[in-house]
Amino acid sequence: MITWPNFVSQLFNGLALGALLALISSGLTIIYGTLGVLNLAHGAMFMLGGYAGFVVFNATQSFGLAVLGGAAFMVVVGVLMERIVIRHFYSRPNEDQILVTFGIGIVFVELVRFFFGSDSIQITPPSWAIGVTSLGFLIYPTYRIVVTGIAAVALLILYLVLYRTRIGMIVRAGIEDSGMVDILGINVNQVFMLVFGIGAMAAGFAGIINAPVVALTPDAGETILVETFVVVVIGGVGSFPGAVLGGLIAGEILSLTSMVDPSYSQVMLFAVMTLVLMLRPQGLFGQKGRA
Amino acid sequence: MSEVKGLRRWWPEMAATAGLAVAPFVLPALGFSPDTVNRILVWGLFGLGFDMLFGYTGLLSFGQSAFFGTGGFTAAYLLTQGMIGNVMLALLVGTLAACLAGLLVGMIALRRTGIYFAMITVAIAQVFFFVENSPLSAITGGENGIPGVPAPVFNLGFATIKVGSGWSMYWFLAACFLVGLVIARRIVASPVGAILVAIRDNAARAEALGHAVWRYKLTIFVIASAYAGFAGGLLGVLQGYMPPDAFTFDTSGQLVIMTVIGGTGTLFGPLFGATIWLYLHDFLQGPMGLGSAWRLALGLIFVLLVCFLRRGVLGGIADALHRRRTVEAPESSPALVPESATPHVPRRAPAPAHGGPVLQARNLTKRYGGLVANNDITFSVDEGEIRGIIGPNGAGKSTFFKMLTCEVPPSSGQILFHGQDITGFGVARVCQMGLTKSYQVNQLFGRLTVRDNITIAALAERRGQYSADLLRRVGAVAGLDRQVEQTLGLVNLTQRADTPVSALAYGEKRRLEIGLALASSPTLLLLDEPLAGMSPQERVETVKLLRNIRQGRTLVIIEHDMDAMFEIAEKITVLSEGRLLAEGTPEEIQQNRFVQEAYLGGVHA
Amino acid sequence: MNFSSRHFGISTSRRNALKAGAGLIGGAMLPWAAAPARAAESFPAIGTYPAGTAGDTVFIGITVPRTGTYAVPGEDLLKGYQLAIEHLNAGDALIKMISPHTTTGVLGKKVISGVADSGAKPNEAVQNGSRFISENKASVITGCVSSAEAVALNKLADREKVIYLPGISGSNDTTGKDCARYSFRECYYGQTAAAAISPVITKAIGANKKVAYLTPDYTYGHTVHASMEEYTKAAGWKTVTNQVCPLGSPDYSSFLLNIANSGADVFININFGNDAVNSIKQANQFGILQKQTLVVPYNTPFLARDVGPDLMAGVFAATDFWWTLEDRFPIAKAFVESFEKKYGYKPEWGAQAGYMQIAMWADAVERAKTFYPPEIIKAYEAGVTLNGTVGPVSMRPEDHQLIRPVIIVRGKKKADMKSKDDYYDVLEVVPGAGVMQKPDAFGCKLGPVT
Repeated sequence: MITWPNFVSQLFNGLALGALLALISSGLTIIYGTLGVLNLAHGAMFMLGGYAGFVVFNATQSFGLAVLGGAAFMVVVGVLMERIVIRHFYSRPNEDQILVTFGIGIVFVELVRFFFGSDSIQITPPSWAIGVTSLGFLIYPTYRIVVTGIAAVALLILYLVLYRTRIGMIVRAGIEDSGMVDILGINVNQVFMLVFGIGAMAAGFAGIINAPVVALTPDAGETILVETFVVVVIGGVGSFPGAVLGGLIAGEILSLTSMVDPSYSQVMLFAVMTLVLMLRPQGLFGQKGRA
Repeated sequence: MSEVKGLRRWWPEMAATAGLAVAPFVLPALGFSPDTVNRILVWGLFGLGFDMLFGYTGLLSFGQSAFFGTGGFTAAYLLTQGMIGNVMLALLVGTLAACLAGLLVGMIALRRTGIYFAMITVAIAQVFFFVENSPLSAITGGENGIPGVPAPVFNLGFATIKVGSGWSMYWFLAACFLVGLVIARRIVASPVGAILVAIRDNAARAEALGHAVWRYKLTIFVIASAYAGFAGGLLGVLQGYMPPDAFTFDTSGQLVIMTVIGGTGTLFGPLFGATIWLYLHDFLQGPMGLGSAWRLALGLIFVLLVCFLRRGVLGGIADALHRRRTVEAPESSPALVPESATPHVPRRAPAPAHGGPVLQARNLTKRYGGLVANNDITFSVDEGEIRGIIGPNGAGKSTFFKMLTCEVPPSSGQILFHGQDITGFGVARVCQMGLTKSYQVNQLFGRLTVRDNITIAALAERRGQYSADLLRRVGAVAGLDRQVEQTLGLVNLTQRADTPVSALAYGEKRRLEIGLALASSPTLLLLDEPLAGMSPQERVETVKLLRNIRQGRTLVIIEHDMDAMFEIAEKITVLSEGRLLAEGTPEEIQQNRFVQEAYLGGVHA
Repeated sequence: MNFSSRHFGISTSRRNALKAGAGLIGGAMLPWAAAPARAAESFPAIGTYPAGTAGDTVFIGITVPRTGTYAVPGEDLLKGYQLAIEHLNAGDALIKMISPHTTTGVLGKKVISGVADSGAKPNEAVQNGSRFISENKASVITGCVSSAEAVALNKLADREKVIYLPGISGSNDTTGKDCARYSFRECYYGQTAAAAISPVITKAIGANKKVAYLTPDYTYGHTVHASMEEYTKAAGWKTVTNQVCPLGSPDYSSFLLNIANSGADVFININFGNDAVNSIKQANQFGILQKQTLVVPYNTPFLARDVGPDLMAGVFAATDFWWTLEDRFPIAKAFVESFEKKYGYKPEWGAQAGYMQIAMWADAVERAKTFYPPEIIKAYEAGVTLNGTVGPVSMRPEDHQLIRPVIIVRGKKKADMKSKDDYYDVLEVVPGAGVMQKPDAFGCKLGPVT
C-alpha cells in the first residue's frame, strides 16, 4: 500500500499519533527527571483522565468543561498521590518506587472497573469538530486534527513552563542535578508535589482529548504505558526534548510500518528501541550516567 | 557440633519436604482444590528464579513472561509434534530454549540498570508475545495455544507410573519444586549467591573489588530464565494445554506481585505469595461475592505491603525473628588497638620482575566536557614505596585515582602496572591484577554484616573475576575463612564481625572500607583520604595500621592531614588545578616555594 | 444439600435453593427427587461420572467472559444458559419443543450451575473448567466467546472425559483440526458464514469489486479472511489490502488510512466484540463508510445497537440468529418472548446459542437415558433432527458441528425501523448443509470415547 497519497496520509497520521504520545511521555519524563521516580501508574492516569472527563461530560454535556474538569481532577490526583504515597519513597530504592506505582496503577484500573464496568465508554466530540476534513488528497477526521493541535499546544505550554518560568528552572535544575535544588534552599517538597501534579495532568489530559477518538476501557492504559516506555527509552529518560522527539519517532514508526505490513508496527517500534539501546544506551537526548 | 550445624543448614529443605508431604491432607480442608495447589507450585517454581533475580540481585524484571512462555511453548511443541516422547526431556529442552532467550535478552537489557532495565524488559516481553501470537502462530497455535500436552510417564523398571491430573499431578510437581528449591538454596549459599547480594547492595563496589558484575548479572538472569522456562513447561503439562496467556504482561505482573506479597529474598516468598493470591482470587470472587473487584482488593493489599512491609509477609516474619535475635546478642564495644601486630603480607605471587616502577602514568588527561580535571600528568611509583598525594580541593586527586584504578577511562594518556599497559582494562580486571583502592566516601555493602563484606572482597581474590561455582558453598572456598579472619583482625573488627554495617560507628565503617580493599590482597593499594572524619585517636591507630600493611605492598595515599602524611610518606606528589606541581621527599615539598604558594599559601596568606 | 461451592458465585437463586432444600426433606413431592438413578451401576466410572450425578442434581459449569473486550456477548450468552436451566427445572413448554423427552430437570435430576469469569483468556477458561470438574464434579462445562477458549476447553473435555459445549466460537478449527469427541458446537463459523454471505453480497453489490479487509491478528480472523476471499473470488472480487490488526487495538487510524486510500469498493471487517464496534465507529470518522460498502461476515451480538442505525444502514452481515426470525419460526417466537419477559430485551444470538446448547444436551441425555458420557455422545452422534429456534437442525456425527442455517441480514435505515430493536432486514436463511465443508476438510479427527 505504498502510494504517494497514502504515504503523505500516514506521515500526517504518524504526526498525530506522535503528538499524543509525546504529551503522555513528557509527563512520565518530567516526573522521572525531577523526582527520580518511574511512574508505572502513568498509563492508568491516562485512562483515569479519560474517565474523569467522561463523568464531567455526562454531567454537563459540555466537551470543554469535560477537558477542564478532567485535567483539574488529574492534578489533584497527582498531588494527592505524591503527598500520601510517593513522598515516602524518595529515599527508598528505585525498585520500591516502581513497585508502589505499579500497585497504584492496578488500584486505579480496578477502581474504574468497579464503578464503570469493563465495557468501553465514549465521549462525543464537540459538534463543530465532527466530520471529515479534506486536506488536498488527504482525508482526515476533523476531530483528530483538533486533537493533534491541542496536543501540540499543550506541549508548547509545557515547554514554556519548563523553560521560561521560575518553577521550570527549578525543575530543570532538578533534572540536571537533584542535589542542586536542595542547595538553592528551595522548598523542594512543594516543587515535587507540583511536578507530580503536572505530570499526572499531562497523561490525564491526553486521555481526555483522546477519549472521543477511541473507545475507552479500564485497560486502555496498559498499551499506552508500554509505548510510553519505548518513547522515553528512545528519547532518553528525563529529557523533555527527548520525549517529544521520541514520541514523534514512535508515531511515525507505527504509522509508516503499517503501509508495508500493519501487523509489524508494534514490533518495529521495539526493534528501533533495541537499536537505540545498542548504539546510544542513554537515549537520543539522555545524559550518560543517569539510571 | 558440625554435624548438628550440617543438619541445621538443611532445615528449610526438610521443612519444605515435610510441608509438601502433608499439604494434600491439610489443604483440601482449608478449601484448596488440587488444581489450585498445583498452580501454586508452578508459580512457586517460577518465582524461585525470579526471587534470585530480584530479591537477591535487585534486578526488577517485568518481562519474565518471555521465558515462561518460551520454555512452555518449546516443550509443548516438541511433545505434541511427537519430536520428543519423554516429557522430562522435553521440559529440559524447553528450559534450554528459555536459557538461550534469557541470554539474548539479558545481553540487551543488562546494558542498563534500575528503571531502564525494568522498562526494557517490559518492552522485550511484548515482542515475545507478538512473535508467539503472529509470525510463529503456525507453530505456537497463535491465540489458541498448544492443546494436547501429555502428562509424564515414569518407567521405573518394576512399575510404570503414569501421572494423571489432581493429586497425582501434585506429587510430580511437588518433586519438581523440591529439586528447584534445593538447587536455588545451593545457588544462594554459593560464592555466586554472596556476590549477587553484594551487587544488589553496591554494584560499583563489587566491580571495584574485582568481580565481573555484568557477567554475574547475566548468569542469574539466565538462571531465572531457566526456572521460568521449566515452570512454563510444567504449566503446559499440568493443564494438558499451553496457553498463549503465558506470554502476556499480566503473567510478569502477577509474578512480581506474588513475590512481593510473599516476601522477596526468601525463596519461599513466591510460593507463599501465590498461595495468598490464588486463595484470595477464589475466596474474594466466591464467598465474598466481590466478582471482578477481587483484583482491586489484591491491588490494595499489594500497595499496602510495599508501603509498610517491604519484604512481604515471609520477609517481615524473618526480619522480626532476626531483630529478636540481634537484640539478644550482647553489643561488645571494640577495642581500638589492634591485638596482633603480625605483618599482613599480600598472598599474591609477586609480579614478574621487570625492573621498572610498579605503576606509571604517562601524560594522563581527563576532560569532562569543557572542564579539564587532570592535565597531562606523568607519574611513577616504585615497588614498596609509600607515596603521598596532596593538593588543594579540586586539584583533581580523586579523578586521578579513578583513572589509575580504571574506574574511568582517561581522555588521553597511558597507565602501566608492572610495565603492562592497563589503560581501558576496567576496574575489576585491574583489581584482579592486584591494584585496588579504598574510597574517600565509604562504599560498603550496607545490608550485609562486616564479615560478609570482607568475604565479598576476599572471594574476588580467591575465585578471580568470574567463576560459575553455583553449587559450591561459600565456606568451601579454600583459604577463604583464614583470609577473612586475618583481615578482620587487621582492621580490628573481629568482635564486630557479625554486626550489620548499618549498625557500625563511623570510625568502624572507615576501617571496614580499608579492610575491603585489603581483603582483595592488593600489591598496590591506593587510599583516598583514609583518615577523613576520624578522631585524633582513630587517626593514630589508622596510621599504625597503614604502617603494618606496607610490608610487601606499595601504597599511594591521598590525604589532607599533612602531619600524618609527612610522617608516613616517603615521597610526596603535589597536584594543583589538575596538573602535577611538584614531587619530592616530605622535606623537599615542605620547602618548595610553588607548593607553599599554590597549596599552603592560601592558609598562610 | 451442599451443591454450592466455596469458590464460585453459584447462580442458583435463593428460591431454587429453598426448593432444593425442601426436596431433601419431602423428596417424594418433587419430581426430580422421585426419579430413581437409572442404570447408574451398569457403567464404569469415567470423568465425573457417576460422582457428579450421585445425588439428585447435575452440575453445569459455565465459564464466560464477563470482563474485557468480549464481556458484552459473554453476558448475553450467560443469560441464554440461565434461561435454559430454569426452563429445564420448571419443565417449560419451550424447552420441551426442542427436547421432546424432557419432563422436568434432566433424567429427573435438578440442574444446578456455577459461573466463573474467563475474561476471554484461554488459560482462565481452562482454570475455571478444571475447578468445576474437580470441585463441583460438573457433568457439563459450557461457555466461551473466543475460539481460543473453545479450543482450550475442547482439549480439557477430551482429557477429563467431561462434555463441553462451546458458546460463541467462529473459528473453523473448533470443529476442524482442534475438534474433540466430548465437544459439540451449535453456532455458525467462518466457513459457513463466508459461504453463505458471499453469493448474497456479490449479487447485491455486483461483480468485480475491489475489497479491503480489516482482520484481527489471530486464527479466527485469518480463517474468516481466507474463507471470504475464496468464496468471493468466483464473482471476480479482488483484495486490494488486508489490514491485519492486533486484538484489542484502541486506535485503528493507521489501518483505516490504508483502507481509505486503497480505492476499495467493499470494506470487510472481521473484528469481533468491542473491536468491531470500535473499528466501525473509527472507520466512519475516516469517511470510509460513505465510500465503501461495509460487510460484517461474522456478526458480533449487539453490533447494531452499539454502532447505531446511522452507520449500520445498508451493512451486510451474516449472523446466527436475529429476533425477527420469530415471524418464520414458532420456536424462535416462543424463545424471544420468554427471554424478553425475563431479561427485558430482545435476545441476541449469543443467548440463543446458549439456550440451544443446554436444550440439545438435555435431549441427548434423555435419549441416552443415562449420564454416562459415552452413551450421551452416542445419542448426539445419532444425528437426530431436532426443532430449533431456526428450524430443523441436526448434529453432524463426524465433526460434532451442528448443521444449521446461516442468517443473512442487512442494516435498516432509521426511518424504516418499526421498533427500536428493528435494526435488520433478514435477507435470507441459508440452509447449513449446502455451505458446510466436508467433515474432514479442516482436519478433524475425533479422539477416543474412553
